[in-house]
Amino acid sequence: MRNASELNFGEKVTIQDIDSSHPSCLRILEIGFTPGQQIELINKSFFNDPLTFSVRGTLIAIRKDEAACIKIS
Amino acid sequence: MNPNSLVTVPVITLVGPPNSGKTTLFNAISGQNYKTVNYPGATVEYSISTVLKNYNINAKIIDSPGIISLIPNSQDERVAVDSLFDVPNYGPPDLVITTVDASQLSRHLFLVKQLIESNFRVILALTMTDILHKKGLDISTTILSKNLGCDVVVVDARKKKNIDELIRAIEKNLEHTSAHGKNVPVPYNRISNKQDLLDSYHSIEEIESSVLYLKSDNNQVNLQAANSQLNILTNNQIKANCYQIDETTVKVDKILLHKIWGLLSFFLIMSITFTSIFWFAQPLMNFVDDLFGLLSAEAFNLFGTGWFGDLVANGIINGTGSVLVFVPQIIILFLILGVLEDTGYLARGAMLIDKPLSKIGLNGKSFVPMLSGFACAIPAMLAARTIPNKKERLLTIFILPLLSCSARLPVYALLIAFLIPQDRSWIGGIVLSVIYITSIGSSIVIAAIINKFSKSIIRTEDSSSFILELPAYRKPKLSVVISNTFNSAMLYIKKAGPTILAFSLLLWFLTYFPDTNPKVETEDLTDSEIVQLQNAERLSNSYASELGKIIQPIMSPLGLDWRVGVSLIAAFAAREVFVSSLALIFKVTGDDDTIQQSILKSMRTSVIGKTDQKLFTTATISGLIVFFIFALQCLSTVAVSKKETGSWRIPLLQVFLFTGIAYILAFITVNGMRALGIN
Repeated sequence: MRNASELNFGEKVTIQDIDSSHPSCLRILEIGFTPGQQIELINKSFFNDPLTFSVRGTLIAIRKDEAACIKIS
Repeated sequence: MNPNSLVTVPVITLVGPPNSGKTTLFNAISGQNYKTVNYPGATVEYSISTVLKNYNINAKIIDSPGIISLIPNSQDERVAVDSLFDVPNYGPPDLVITTVDASQLSRHLFLVKQLIESNFRVILALTMTDILHKKGLDISTTILSKNLGCDVVVVDARKKKNIDELIRAIEKNLEHTSAHGKNVPVPYNRISNKQDLLDSYHSIEEIESSVLYLKSDNNQVNLQAANSQLNILTNNQIKANCYQIDETTVKVDKILLHKIWGLLSFFLIMSITFTSIFWFAQPLMNFVDDLFGLLSAEAFNLFGTGWFGDLVANGIINGTGSVLVFVPQIIILFLILGVLEDTGYLARGAMLIDKPLSKIGLNGKSFVPMLSGFACAIPAMLAARTIPNKKERLLTIFILPLLSCSARLPVYALLIAFLIPQDRSWIGGIVLSVIYITSIGSSIVIAAIINKFSKSIIRTEDSSSFILELPAYRKPKLSVVISNTFNSAMLYIKKAGPTILAFSLLLWFLTYFPDTNPKVETEDLTDSEIVQLQNAERLSNSYASELGKIIQPIMSPLGLDWRVGVSLIAAFAAREVFVSSLALIFKVTGDDDTIQQSILKSMRTSVIGKTDQKLFTTATISGLIVFFIFALQCLSTVAVSKKETGSWRIPLLQVFLFTGIAYILAFITVNGMRALGIN
C-alpha cells in the first residue's frame, strides 16, 4: 500500500488508514487526516521535507516521516 | 453550586483552534488589544480582561491558548487543557465561547463537540462566514444550534460586526447560570483510541452535511430530503465546494515555497527585516538621542553643576534617554513581525526551515521564537512554549540568548561608530551584518553541540513532530498590526524601563559619591575644562572605582580597565545600560553634541591609569563587540529561563557557558589583533 509521502503533485487520493503505531497518529487524525478524506500534495519544502497537503479545505504541513503513516489507495 | 456565586464575577473563557479568529474576537469584546492568532504562538499566555464597558456585562473574559482538542499531546497542552477546566484563581468558567471558522467546519467542530460533551456551557461563535460565501455555500445556524445543543452566533470580529448579537447571547447564558447555577465540567475521556476519534469525526461530518447548503437555492434544506438522489448529488457538490482550497494561496505558495525561489524569498524577507531594523530606525534613534542631549544640557543650565544638576542631567535624563533610544528599533521589528504573521508567512517560514533546524535538534516551530529573539529573548522564550517536543523546546530556549537582541544594538551602534570613520558609515552596516551572521552562526553551532550531548545537558528525549496548518494568505490588517506593535512597545518600556532607570540612578550614585568636592588647579583653564577635571577627580575617588578595582584583574587581559568593567557589570541589568553607564563614567555632559558624539569624544581621549596607553583601540573595541555577541548579561533573561525550564540548571549553564565563551573569544580577539600589529 502506498503512503502520502510517495504522492506526486496533482494526484488526488483518498486516505485508507493511519498507521496506529506512529507516535503522531492521533494528532494527525485530529487535525483532519481521517480515512475517507481526499488529500492532494500541494508543496514540498526544499530538502523535500516537510510536505504540504490539502485536506478538508485547508493546507497542513507535516514531516515526510509523518506523511508516511498516512496510507492511501 | 459555588456558594460564592452571588458575589464572584462570572468568568467567560474563549476557546478555539489556531486560526479560528479567537484572539480577534477577544480584542473586539474585551476592548483590550492583543496579538491576533493566526499562528500558534500568539496566545501562549492567558490574557484576562473585563468585557468592554459599553456592553454593560460584568464578567471576566479570558483568552486561552489555541488548541485543536481536549486530548493533550504534550505537557504544555495538558496545562492549557487543565486550566480550561479549572481557571487559575477562578475555578470552572461560567461560560465558554468557542470560535469556529465556518469554512473549516468539520475540523473546528471537533473541539466544540468535546467541549459540549464535557458539560461546558457553550456559545459557538461562527467566524469567517464571508469565506464560506465565497465558496458558494451558506450555513444554517438554527440547525447547527439544534444539532449541537448550544447557541450559535455569526460574528465577524475583524469588522466588529454582529458583536451585539453575541453580547445578547452572553447575557442570556449568564442569566441562566446565575438562576440555575453554573455547569460543572467533567474531564473529557470519550476518546481513548483511534476508533473513538473516527466515530467522533463521523458524527461531526453528519452535522456538517446537515447545516451547509448551496447558496444558489435558499429553500433546499427541506427539499433535499424529498429527493434522495438529488440529495447525494448536492451533498457531493457541497463537500467539493467546502473542501476547495484558496487558489490564490496555492499560487503564491508555488513561489514562496518553491525550492529555489522560496529559499531566495525567505532570505530576502529575512534580510529586509534586519536591515530595516537598523536603517529605518537610525534617524529616529538620532532624534531621540539629540533630544535627550539637549534636555540634559538644559538641566545643567537650570540646576547648575552641583550634585542636584548632575543627578537630573546625568542620572535621570540620560538614563531615560538610554531607555527610549532603542524603542524605534523595537517598534520596527514588531511591526515587521506583525505583518509577516498577519499575512500568514510566518507559518511558511517555519515549514521552510524545519528540515535544517531538525538537523541540529531544533524544530520548524523554533523559527518564530528565534525571530522574536532578535527583538528580545524574554518574549522569545515564552513563544517557545508552542514547541510540543520538550527537548526541542529546551534547546530552543538554550540558544535564544545568543541571538542578537535589540538591546545590544545601541551598544553595537556606539562601538561601531568608534571603529568607523564618520564619512563611511556604510561600513557600519556591513560590520553589523557580520555581527548578526556571527550571532546566528554561533547559535547554530552551539545548538548542534548541545544536541550531541542532549542526554546529559537537556536530559529529555521524546519523539519529534512537525504538524502545522498553513493559513490562507490575506492582506494584513494594518490597524491591528499597528495597535499590537504599540502595545508590545509599551509593554517593553514598562518592563525594561524602570530597571534601566533604577540602575542608571544607582550607577550615578556610585560614580558621584562620596563627593569629595575635588580641588583642582584652575589656573589657565576654561570653565568646561575645570568641570571635566573635577569630574575625573570625583570619579577616581568614587564608590564605583572601589568596586572597579576588584574586577580590574579580570579586565586587564582584555586591555580594558575597571571603568569598562563597571559598565559591563551594570549591563547585567540590561545590555543597553552599558551605553548610559559609559556616558556616566566618562562624565559626558550634554553640550551641543549628541550623547553618542560626546561619549565617542571622551572615549577617544581616555587612557589607562596614569599611563599614556589608550584605553579604547581598534583591538579593545573589537574585543568588546565579540564579548557582547556571546555574553549572557541580562538578569531578566536568566529569570525567565529559570521559569520556563523549571530549574536553575539550564539558566546557570547558559550564564557560565555563554559568558565564558564571550570572555575567552574577546581575549583571543584583543590579543590576536595586537599580535598582528592592529592596536
